[in-house]
Amino acid sequence: MRAKSLRRAGLVVAITVQSLLTLARPEAQSGDAAAAIFDDSVVHDIRLTMSSRDWDSLREHFTENTRYPADLRWRDQTVRNIAIRSRGTGSRNGTKPGLKVDINYYTADQRFLGLKNLILRNNTQDASNMREFLAMKFFRRMNLAASRESFARLYVNSTYMGLYTIVEDLDKDFLEKNRGENDGYLYEYDFDESNRIPYAFQYLGTDPAKYVPQPFKAQTHESDPRGDVIERFIWTVNEAGAASWRQQMDEYLDLGKFMRHLGIENFLAEEDGITGDYGPNNFYIYRAENKNLFSFIPWDKSNTFWETSYWIFRNIRNGEPDHRNQLVLRALTYDDLRDAYLNTLLESADSAEQEGWLEARVAEFYDLIKAAATSDTTKPFTNDQFEAAIGDLRTFARERGGVVRGMVADERNR
Amino acid sequence: MLKTVAAAASLAFALTLGVPCAAAADSSADAQTGTQAEKSGKKPKKDKKDKKKDDKAKNDKKAKSKKSKDGQQTNGAQAAQEAEPPSPDEGRFATDIDAEPEPTPAEQVETGGKSGVRVSWKQHPSFRVGSVFRIDLQAKFQEDIHSSYVGEPDLERAELHRNRLGVQGNLFKRIEYEVERELTEKELDAGKTPKSPWKDVYVNLDFVKNAQVKLGKFKIPFGLDQLTGVTHNDFVYRSLGAIYLSPSRDIGGMVHGSFLKHGLQYWTGVFQHDGDNARSSKIAGGDETFAGRVTGTPFRAVMQGLGEIELGSAFTISRLSDDSFRPNGLRGRTVMTQHVFYEPVYVKGNRRRWEADVDWTVGPASARAEYTWVSDDRQQQGIGDNDLPNARARSWYVSGTWLLTGERKTRPVKAEENFLQGGWGALELAARVERIWFDSAGGADDPFRNPRAETIFPETNRALTLGVNWTLNRFVKLQFNGIREHVEDAERNPVQNGAAFWSRVVRLQFVL
Repeated sequence: MRAKSLRRAGLVVAITVQSLLTLARPEAQSGDAAAAIFDDSVVHDIRLTMSSRDWDSLREHFTENTRYPADLRWRDQTVRNIAIRSRGTGSRNGTKPGLKVDINYYTADQRFLGLKNLILRNNTQDASNMREFLAMKFFRRMNLAASRESFARLYVNSTYMGLYTIVEDLDKDFLEKNRGENDGYLYEYDFDESNRIPYAFQYLGTDPAKYVPQPFKAQTHESDPRGDVIERFIWTVNEAGAASWRQQMDEYLDLGKFMRHLGIENFLAEEDGITGDYGPNNFYIYRAENKNLFSFIPWDKSNTFWETSYWIFRNIRNGEPDHRNQLVLRALTYDDLRDAYLNTLLESADSAEQEGWLEARVAEFYDLIKAAATSDTTKPFTNDQFEAAIGDLRTFARERGGVVRGMVADERNR
Repeated sequence: MLKTVAAAASLAFALTLGVPCAAAADSSADAQTGTQAEKSGKKPKKDKKDKKKDDKAKNDKKAKSKKSKDGQQTNGAQAAQEAEPPSPDEGRFATDIDAEPEPTPAEQVETGGKSGVRVSWKQHPSFRVGSVFRIDLQAKFQEDIHSSYVGEPDLERAELHRNRLGVQGNLFKRIEYEVERELTEKELDAGKTPKSPWKDVYVNLDFVKNAQVKLGKFKIPFGLDQLTGVTHNDFVYRSLGAIYLSPSRDIGGMVHGSFLKHGLQYWTGVFQHDGDNARSSKIAGGDETFAGRVTGTPFRAVMQGLGEIELGSAFTISRLSDDSFRPNGLRGRTVMTQHVFYEPVYVKGNRRRWEADVDWTVGPASARAEYTWVSDDRQQQGIGDNDLPNARARSWYVSGTWLLTGERKTRPVKAEENFLQGGWGALELAARVERIWFDSAGGADDPFRNPRAETIFPETNRALTLGVNWTLNRFVKLQFNGIREHVEDAERNPVQNGAAFWSRVVRLQFVL
């Protein structure tokens, strides 16, 4: 009992130190021009000016990635000659389209607040408008690199188009800011909706083309994406012998850090993540140019906060066998990695409950976005559904920590 | 498809070696002695002096009737036309100048009689029923081996570039027709320039000598280089202006004719759209198009001994709609790799094209030049739905050729001595410099690259093509081209640092 208290006290100290470190990170300093647009204490106004025909076309052809020219205004700053396009997978919507804003599509060196791209997330799969925002905030609180986000009212040709989330894109700017370098190989995990059996880190053979561009879509080095390194990584995950697996995996993945990522996701009840219901989804991987060591970066967390009782081994010990992530299954056979996973779950629970942090954030951002959300006539939800979803979030914030601690205890008592 | 090409290649090789079709292919053999000599497997040798005399006489005769009846660039295809009715692409109604030189009577291989039903093989296998009906089979195969800058993702080293089969002929000598279809898909490339597999599909009504009527699908009369037949070009690829600014084929009707003994010729017609070159899977292209072209040889009387100069000019006007949600303007692409360095802009209103050209042929040499201008209205195409200054595209080229083996320049080149039949064929040097550029006609705003920019950011590609053409015989030609290109906008240049780059191509052409 005493050891448990000491461990929890240690975790609190660690979280406090990490929080201070987070505050001291470069993006919080005035040198980061983009910090202002990701200031989440206000709802920003983003104003797009574009041909009315183009806006109608974008909404009509929302399943396509056709780009349209536009000017963007934020506060007193205008950036001209940008491109916007419809974006998203399950969230694609013609009434309230999710948008990718390409600042540098027509002019390669053009930047806005130092950014090349911006995502305007439509939150059409989240009645609360807040799950993605809170999840990314929590990842950063747990000291893992994740997109910065804030809320915005979007106006197109002066017409209010609804409440959006401004999302920092995962690109070279993000890598430079979070890793101090960006010369390496960045891949988006490209979920194949047409395939009933998802790719779950199985070894597909020696041909690099089996891995790149599908399911790993190169975002840098597109002309030479080095699928061969991914092939060796996946081979090691699946084929390396038990005696040398950990040693060989050290070349390709920091397993401790990966367990941390997994633990945070599953604390947040991510239903469409690394161990999602539909197979692995919603992450990027990155490796530095002259190294084979990959890192996972979280992406699209709109299906987090799925349910308070979300089991921490969902789709690991249950669910469809061919949906289960082979990397996770193999890593969890090692006691120290399983402990790292369970410890991250506990750490997450403590962090979420520290001074009621998660519940306080739900309340804070509900107050912030309520007017913009309820006046949003393009959202695919009613205002009652919005309020109910906020209620669910409050419940999750209050109860999830206790539920997870119980599950961890059960696991340790097995 | 591979089998088709393999068969074509085998036939080309056989024809190159002169067996077993030597009788059909031999265009230089003496008619009186050839048959016996071929039976014995030996080729009769001529005294060099006698041969030169024969050549001179032949050239003199050709020079007198240098221009074809259609007055376009079919020089060399005319001698036999006095005696024989022209085939559709050789006659005066042709716009796609694919005419092959008709063989002399000595080259003809025929079965059956001269009257009634007969089958013959001159340039093409032909079936005729007296003067009532004629149908010729024609085939065109062009296979490339090429390379360009490092990292070009779509360029295959070997490519079955163009493989076409067709028929042409006439009814009652007054109704001429042609049907031609592309067999392979490279020319129909869905990703870049999807085109109909049907090429020329038309009838030409030759009832009024100076006002013939042509109906169907054929080339809109615009552009010297575009109207030169695909197997007759001096270069592997047409000029940038011909490929990206001239309209090429469309469905429509045209009236055409000639005056002053073909010293003045005209073509004018209306078409459904503004040609294959203006369209793609994503670009709708122009709508109803009116076109006109005039050519003339005004210096014929004063150019004795200096060859012949033909001047030409053409225009088109097309309606442009913005019904498509995608930009409907013209694209700018590189020669071989078809890298898009100028994306289409939004347009609406009218598209106007104008070109002027000159074609000079003297002895073994030729020179050509052409200037093309295109202007697209942009009504209500601004970001605020306002009118924008016209989008503009321009191009020019100057090219020259020189036949090292001394033949008189014709298109296609006819070798005096075929390869492996007493000679090496015809060897020709060719060079072309050209430029294509896109911008807007004015605009007060800063220049931008977006498709609704008031001031379009100028985009330019300059190209130099150096080539060697080796005509082995009238069936087979090899072309070697080196192409240096420089896309001036470093952001739209396909190679790093905005540098110039070279592309290389070898083309094997077989024409039946």
